[in-house]
Amino acid sequence: MTSSTRAAPPPTTQTPVAWARRRLFNSWYNSLLTLVLGVVAGYLAYRTILFVAVNGRWSPVRVNLTLFMTGTFPRDEQWRLVAQIYLMAAAIGVAWGAITASAADRAADSGIAANRASAPDLLRRYWSLLLLIAVILGFTRTVWPIVFALTALAGGLGLRSATHRLPRALRQASWYFAAALGIASFQVLTGTGGISWWWASALFSLAAFQFASAKDYARFLGSVMVWPVSGGKRLVTTKHLARFKMASQILAVVAAVVVGRVLYWLIGDTTSVGWDKWSGFHLTLVASFAAIILAFPIGMLLAMGRRSSLPAVRLISVSYIEFFRGVPLITLLFTGDLFIGFFLDTDTPLSAITRAIIMLTIFTSAYVAEIVRGGLQAVPKGQIEAGQAVGLATPSIMRLIVLPQALRAVIPAMVGQFISLFKDSSLLSIISIVEFLEVRSLVHNQEAFRGFGIAETLAFVAFGYWAITYAMSKESERLERQLGVGER
Amino acid sequence: MQKSDRRLLAIFGLVLALSLIAASCGNDDDGAEPEATVELTQEGVSRLQLVQERDELICGSRGDSPGYGVVQEDGSYKGFDIDFCAVVAAAVLGDSTKFTVVPLTSAERFTALQSGEIDVLIRNTTWTATRDGAEGANFLFTTFFDGQALMVPASTGFTKLEDLAEASICVVAGTTTELNLTAVFSAREIPFNPVVFDDTSTLRPAYEEGQCEAWTSDASQLAGWKFTIEQEDGGEQHIMAEVISKEPLGPVVADGDTEWAQVVNWAVMSTVQAWEFDLNSGNIESYDGEDPNILNFLGRADFNPGLGLPDDFAVQVVSQVGNYEEIYNRHPELVPLDGSVNDLWTNGGLMYVPPYR
Repeated sequence: MTSSTRAAPPPTTQTPVAWARRRLFNSWYNSLLTLVLGVVAGYLAYRTILFVAVNGRWSPVRVNLTLFMTGTFPRDEQWRLVAQIYLMAAAIGVAWGAITASAADRAADSGIAANRASAPDLLRRYWSLLLLIAVILGFTRTVWPIVFALTALAGGLGLRSATHRLPRALRQASWYFAAALGIASFQVLTGTGGISWWWASALFSLAAFQFASAKDYARFLGSVMVWPVSGGKRLVTTKHLARFKMASQILAVVAAVVVGRVLYWLIGDTTSVGWDKWSGFHLTLVASFAAIILAFPIGMLLAMGRRSSLPAVRLISVSYIEFFRGVPLITLLFTGDLFIGFFLDTDTPLSAITRAIIMLTIFTSAYVAEIVRGGLQAVPKGQIEAGQAVGLATPSIMRLIVLPQALRAVIPAMVGQFISLFKDSSLLSIISIVEFLEVRSLVHNQEAFRGFGIAETLAFVAFGYWAITYAMSKESERLERQLGVGER
Repeated sequence: MQKSDRRLLAIFGLVLALSLIAASCGNDDDGAEPEATVELTQEGVSRLQLVQERDELICGSRGDSPGYGVVQEDGSYKGFDIDFCAVVAAAVLGDSTKFTVVPLTSAERFTALQSGEIDVLIRNTTWTATRDGAEGANFLFTTFFDGQALMVPASTGFTKLEDLAEASICVVAGTTTELNLTAVFSAREIPFNPVVFDDTSTLRPAYEEGQCEAWTSDASQLAGWKFTIEQEDGGEQHIMAEVISKEPLGPVVADGDTEWAQVVNWAVMSTVQAWEFDLNSGNIESYDGEDPNILNFLGRADFNPGLGLPDDFAVQVVSQVGNYEEIYNRHPELVPLDGSVNDLWTNGGLMYVPPYR
């Protein structure tokens, strides 16, 4: 009689009428409130539907859809974007398959049933993204984008289940394959374009390296990165080989970069499209996610630097954080735009977009540092002392004990910061980068749309931002639940 | 040796092999690929040489100014300023499509010029003493004489500034336009009420609803709005003939490279010269007259003035882009050309270029 003393709650099957009576009309003032709010909500819904379906003059969006999505990206090179979508879908499919497979592995190891994400579950998580895709496809005037989207989706899902079924020995390899596909997707976009290629490779190897190392870190990044990521299985399991782990991971990442490059070299494409040709929604996504991926490790190092016992390291970290947190982002963007070119007296000036990503990264990393510091302070000192007691070195204590707990605690704040960064990318228009929002002003300078459909284009752009940020916050919510933030 | 040991060794070997392959491939690749990023600034090399080596002109302009530069649905730029980018590209590189537009805000344009990021700035920039001096910019031939003007609904019958006594005048806040308006009206002692707006998109509906009797801005901007309002049946509009400020707009290059400045200047001026000679994109290639000046201009008379341009640059410019009149009339948003200050000097306008000889 120990566990059964607490009886399960009675089944709560109610008829809708009973539910409504209990929740909406349980007293005269609540009934009144329900009626009033119901009328207001109904009116708003009616006006919204009227706006979207009947009155809205959507032709500025319909005609300029490509401009909104890719801006002034050369139309002859548009196939690169299609290729990127396919490769990206493949990368996501493989990575996703590896995630579910390693989750199943873990579950098998510990003898519990793996809980696979069900379709309704995924729908709840990503419905805003699906809606965004549906809206964009709804605006297209040819059938091709729909064909591309559907085949890419089918391909991604196919690769996911194929990867899921791979033998266990190939688990790690599938991660690197996903990374190589991701790199290749950017490679195809930039062609052989010098510095852009190195940028894309560096970004992806950084991302790939991260999910191959610290598990929680990887999970966290997975919530904000372009492809979902979860804990990779340790490459080397025996103690003796553990010390080569880092080296092997670095080499594996190099290999991923190299494979991407070799694959691309085999295709034999010799033209190039530099970063400076990117614009529109595509640029907004790339610039903000590049800054997110770069700002995270820098911010984490700064946070640890601020708590370091070495005065020089502490001083540098504190001055960096306090300076860049104290300066408005607009000032930094202008500074970057006007002065980086003069400071770095190189033969090839950085493109405006590279400069903007640098400034966004610098700015965000200062905030990330403070958020991570908050998390570090939340880890009790006893934890570190316990680590020391069992003879761990400081880096190991950080990596194995402190950071996993600290990062877990700051997920909500961190995702909040990244959402804000994503929206702040609209400020890039002041340094004449044509990002998503700026396309709108270009559209309204066209002869046909001057002063026409202003509210409609604004609604479209706002919806684009909302869909992405909503998906980000849903992902963070899921991570919080999964990692048990807020419990205990 | 343990099993996992061997596996790791295999991975290392694979990675090493791949790196080696890639390193060698990478080198081949780098050798074969075209120069994707060409140096923009280099000691001892003139801008002209840089542009020729790059085989592309980088033109600072804008995409948010109707008539001067807008971005079309297909992502390409179109406008009066953009056409002059094409003119320079046609003259220097022989192909009017070999240019890239870098959109710039007014705050950045001179920095972009000084840092060498752009070759030429053609972004309706007013030539002023400060810009010529302190900003290190070198202003060339004025392609468009603009000026601040006032627009009224034609139904009001107003024609001169004095008619606007006690009238409300719509103006965008914080611009030199607002300052000019106050300066001119108080100098002439005409009382008026300024109605100030944050930007044009809020000003326009107010003007159309009759919150103010007149709208003041640059004549070229007003012409664009006049065009739009009349297209949308907003009633006939009238732009007053009197202009209350001088705004000469033209291409700008960085100080310190005379050769490049000459090249851009003569490329731009050739459009006006062709107009004066009655040569246009349709007839320039088939010219069969005997006028020695024209033959020189077309580069058929073995004449090279030593500007650093190919002999036939004018033919390239006019046949590919057009003469000044053609370029101008391609953009209906601009003030009608006939009889305006931008007409040819022989018609009483200001377009007058030095002789090509």
